[in-house]
This record gives sequence, C-alpha cells and structure tokens, in this order.
Amino acid sequence: MRLVVVGMNHRTAPLEVRERFAVADPAPHLAKLVASGEIDEAVLLSTCNRVEVVTLTRQLDAARHRLRSFFRRDLAGEASLAPGTSLDGMLFEYVDGAAMGQVFRVAASLDSMVVGEPQILGQMKDAYRAAVGAGACGPILSRLFQSAFAAAKRVRSETRIGERPVSVARVAVDLARQIFESFEDKTALLVGAGEMIEAALEALRGEGVSAIRVANRTRAHAETVAARFAATSHGLEELPSLLAQADVVLTCIAGDAPVLGVSQFAEALRARRGRPIFVIDIGVPRNVDAGVNRLDSVYLYDIDDLAGVAAANAEERRHETTLAEAIVLEEQQRFDGWLAALKAVPTIRHLRARAEAIRQGELQRSLQRLGLDEGQRQGVEALTRSIVNKLLHAPVSRLRAEAEREEGLAYLEAARVLFALDDAFVPGVQDTDLERPEPSEGPPPEDTDEP
Amino acid sequence: MIVLFHELTAALYLAAGLLAGVGLAAPAPRLVRASALVLATGAVVHGIAFAAFHLAAEPPPLTDLPAAVSLMVWLGVLFYLALLVRVRIAALVVGVAPLAFLGVFFAALRFPHSAEAPFVGVESSWPHAHVLLASAGFGCLAVASLAGIAFLAEDRRLKTKRPMAGRIRLPTLEALDRVNAVALAAGFPILTLGVLSGLLWVDASTGRFWTGSAHETWSVIAWAVYAGLVAARFWFHHGSRRAAVSAIAGFGFLLFAVVGVGLLA
Repeated sequence: MRLVVVGMNHRTAPLEVRERFAVADPAPHLAKLVASGEIDEAVLLSTCNRVEVVTLTRQLDAARHRLRSFFRRDLAGEASLAPGTSLDGMLFEYVDGAAMGQVFRVAASLDSMVVGEPQILGQMKDAYRAAVGAGACGPILSRLFQSAFAAAKRVRSETRIGERPVSVARVAVDLARQIFESFEDKTALLVGAGEMIEAALEALRGEGVSAIRVANRTRAHAETVAARFAATSHGLEELPSLLAQADVVLTCIAGDAPVLGVSQFAEALRARRGRPIFVIDIGVPRNVDAGVNRLDSVYLYDIDDLAGVAAANAEERRHETTLAEAIVLEEQQRFDGWLAALKAVPTIRHLRARAEAIRQGELQRSLQRLGLDEGQRQGVEALTRSIVNKLLHAPVSRLRAEAEREEGLAYLEAARVLFALDDAFVPGVQDTDLERPEPSEGPPPEDTDEP
Repeated sequence: MIVLFHELTAALYLAAGLLAGVGLAAPAPRLVRASALVLATGAVVHGIAFAAFHLAAEPPPLTDLPAAVSLMVWLGVLFYLALLVRVRIAALVVGVAPLAFLGVFFAALRFPHSAEAPFVGVESSWPHAHVLLASAGFGCLAVASLAGIAFLAEDRRLKTKRPMAGRIRLPTLEALDRVNAVALAAGFPILTLGVLSGLLWVDASTGRFWTGSAHETWSVIAWAVYAGLVAARFWFHHGSRRAAVSAIAGFGFLLFAVVGVGLLA
C-alpha cells in the first residue's frame, strides 16, 4: 500500500488558479475516485489556500496518473487556465513518508499561509468526515488523519505557535489597525457565515468594533452567527446599503462570481464622502472584484495579499515552529511505526489460522475416540484453545514489535519459514486481507473535541 | 547667545531626525519614541533662544526673514508636539525634525553674530502681529503638508500590499488624515489673520491697504488657493487622499509665494 498526496497550495499556484479548483462538496469526487480502482482510499481537502487529495493505493503509477487527470479533467478544465499556464508546474506530489509528513504538517498549521492559524484543523476534520461519509476513507487513512489531528493538538498545547496572530482573521484585523486609529466608532460588514467569518467576528469584537453586520445568502445562517456575537443579520440584497456604512468589509462566501463590484463600492464611497473602506476578501473564488482596489480610499486584500503579512509573522515565530516540527516528526514516526506493524498482519493471521487448523484437526480426531459428554467436550475445547493462545502470544507480540523496526522483515521471514506458512494452505485467509489492519487495530473512535 | 541657542536647537532637531530615521529603519520603536523627546528638548531650547532674542533687542526684530523662518519652525514644532499628545504620530518626527533643522540652521547662518546688530525697525505692533500669525499659520500648514506626504506614502504601501516593517507602528491613515484636517482647520484661520494683519501693516505704513507689491500679491493668491482647499475639504468632502495631495500642493504654493518670491525679489 502506498500513500500519495497530489495537490496545489498558496505556494505552488496563484489565487486565480486555486479558485478554479476549489471544491464545495467533495463527496461525489471522492466516490468517483475510489470507484476508479486505482485508488483504495481518498480524502479531499479544499480550503482558501489549498486543494489536496490524500490517497492510499496499491498501484502507485496508475494512482499518480489518475490524480493528475482528476485535477486536469474532473475539477476544472485546463482550458480555463490562462494561455501558456501549465497545470503540471502548479501541482505538487508526495509519496509515502513525504505524503505522510505533508498531512501532519498541514494539520498542525505548519504549512499554512499564516503559520499557527487554528482554522485548518477544523477544515481538515470536515474533509475527513466528508470522506468517511462518502465511504472513501478506510482504516489506514482514518488512522493517518486521527494521528495528524493528535499531533496538531499537541502542537497547539505544547508550543506558543498559536498565541499571536494566529488566523487570517487576526491578520486582517492587524492590517485594519494600520488604517484606523480606533475601532470603537467603526462598523464592520461580514459577508458569509462560515468558520472564517466567526473567527473574524471574534477578532473584531475583541478590538471593540461598535457595530457588526453579517450578510449571507441564507439569512437563517446569518441570524445564527449574528445572534452569538450580538451582530445584526442581513440578506445579500442589502449589501449596497450596508456597504455605505461599513468601514471594514470581510467576505468569505461560496459562489462562482464576485458579490461586490466596482460600481457598488464607488456608490458607497460617494455616500461615505470619501471615508476609507478596508476590504479583506478571503473567499475562493474571490467575492470582491479585484478592480475595487483601484478606487481611492478602498484598500482591498485577498487571500494571497495576506502572504506578505504572514511571512513576517512566520519569521517572528520561527522558534516555535521548530518546536512544532519536532512534535510533528515524533507523531509521524509513531504513525509510521503503526503502519510498518501492518506488514506483520498477514503473517500473524497465517500463523493463527494454521495453529487453529491444527487444533481443530487434532481435537476432532481425539473427540471421536474418547466419547466424552457435552460438558467434557467443552472443557477440552477450552483447554486446547488456551494452550494455542498462550503458545502464540509471545511470538505474535514479538513479530508486531519487531515489524516496526527496519530489521523486522527478517523476523517475519523467519516465522514464515519456521512455521512453514508459505507451504501450507490456510483456510479463511484471503489475498485481499493482506496489509489490512486486524479488527482490533481498526479506525480509532472519531475525535469528539471538534470546536 | 542667540546664534548659540539656535545652533544647539539645530543640533537637537538634527539628532531627533536621525534617531527617528534609524528607529524606523532598524526597526526600533524605542528610538522613535526617544526622537520625539529629543525634538521636544529642541523646542524648549528654541524657546529659550527666543527669550534671549526678546531680551537682547527691543522690540524683537521678527520681521527679518531668518527670525521669521525660525519662529515659523518653532511654532510648527510646538503644534506638532501638541498633536502628538493626542494622536499616535511619533514616526512623523522623521519628517518634522529634518525640516525644522533646515529652517533653524538657515536662520542661524543668516543671523548677525552680535545680538546688538541692527534689525529692521518697526513703529507699530502690526508687523509683529503679522509675522507671529503668519508664522503660526505657516507652521500649522507645514504640519498638514507633512501629514499629507506621510498619508500618500502609507496609502501607496497599503495599496501595493507591502508589509509593515517589523514591530514599528506607523501612523494610521485615519490619524494622518485627522492631523491634516486639524492642521488645515487651525492653520487657515491663523493664516487669514496673518494676511489681514499684513494688510493693516501696509495700511499703517503707506496709508493704503494695497500697494501691489509682489509679496502682497502672491500672499493673497496663496490665501485664495488655501481658501479653495479648505472649501473642498470641509464643504465638498473630497476624499482623504485628495486632501493629502491638496495639503502638499497648497503648502508648496505658499512656500513659493512667501519665501520664494521674497528671495527672488
């Protein structure tokens, strides 16, 4: 089994490209991917800064080819890219250890534009749930994601990586502080009702913004969010009038076309008598027409524009990042050990099946000869099972432990030779069971600490 | 003594400018804060220089160009320091201090080396009122123009999405716009009084308000230009960026009309 990650992020592809590949509902794509046969398990993560597919496959080359064609054909036609733009140069690809590292680093927010931002963990959990729901996530990817979530939690609790500034919302507020002297007499307009909007609401409330308006396509969602933060809720049709009152505008709403254009801002500026408007557009695809930044007194930042701020941020937190990298590596090694131990699973199953076959055979022969009653038969049955289990306990435990080491293969080989496992027909063991975790090692219970 | 105090003032203003420059480039917020303190110390020494001025010659010969420039610089610095108490604009020392240094250095160079040297004598109090008011107005409008320059620089930085250097907190656009508005609101009426007192001085000297001299003509034109800018800013609500450009252009014109025309004449 090989682990493969193919995708694009804020470092490999510009926003104009990323927004064409954004996926609102991963379920149908995942179902199609695992149905193709080249891919056994898959999780699709699509956020403002990345679109990545994490997969498990037994056919590495076929899977790599399938994933590239998935981006090229399924997500967006390459023809929609600017002439001369090649998608291949924008896609990254990681295999096995590197792929595993990528999943861990993304979950721990070490690969984020704003290193240490907490939203990515929630977004990854959503992606994982969607994959489980679509039946595309099996025991190995399940374990990988749970381990990555655990590593991310350790990073947040054992380092100060998330202490200051933090999220895209926080960076947005920091930028707004370069325009406005105080927020107490300011009005903020938030377009959308997702997790990013909630984070922004929290940050703006913390700065003392006096009035906050939340506008969303689905009014009910806006009402739910607004109620929690003592804000007012609105529909998108009210945007023109809301814009005239807004000093800070933050948008993060799904949709193919911008919800705010140049003419709306020009109109709002007239009504505001030239007072500045600071706009943060973290929607992918973008929610605000890029031409808005050309207007006097409007300062528009999209998700890529935040990169510079985030880079300065990352520099200040380099030490914490080093600590976080060490934690991630430790957790990654732990998962790697678990994965390596899976190599022992077929041998152990063969061994147990062979021992059970011998026990059953000998038991049947003896019972026919001895003529025991039902109680005595059950006693002998329990006795033989206990002997077999006790005999196998030490070698099975040792095989599991040694399989996590590099020299573990020698132990597995020795066991197969000593017990003649390759020669014997062992009933009940299918080829498809190879390298699959035993029932006791299936997916751990789903994380319930979701914020 | 007067020259010595002016030289000391110039040195302090220069030191403040350098400190602010290094503080912004480093970036080191403490140096920027220290530069404001050095500027304030320079203003105190500058004040002592004027006290010495007053004691040395009777009446104070403020109508002389070096003295008028020095007075304008002092009042401008005082106005900036007064604003600094209310608005976070310490980083502006990097612009205020070098300009103040140049003004005081020019005055120190042009001052006679003896305080007893003869200055242009005046008979009435209008000349002093004119110089005092015009210098105060000039100082305020100079601060407005500096705030305008800083506004345009910040506006460009934010428009082009360049991140702010380190931990230095530059004045916000809102603060710079407020400084611009306050300086214009204070500077224009004072300048108006300065122009009126100048006309009264001319009337007291020649018996008529209008002589048609180059200084008189250009000063009135400069006042009219500022009147237009004030109307655009406070009545027609032009945006902050346009107000910043106007403040710079207006002060440039005023500088030419008062100092440039004077020097050319």
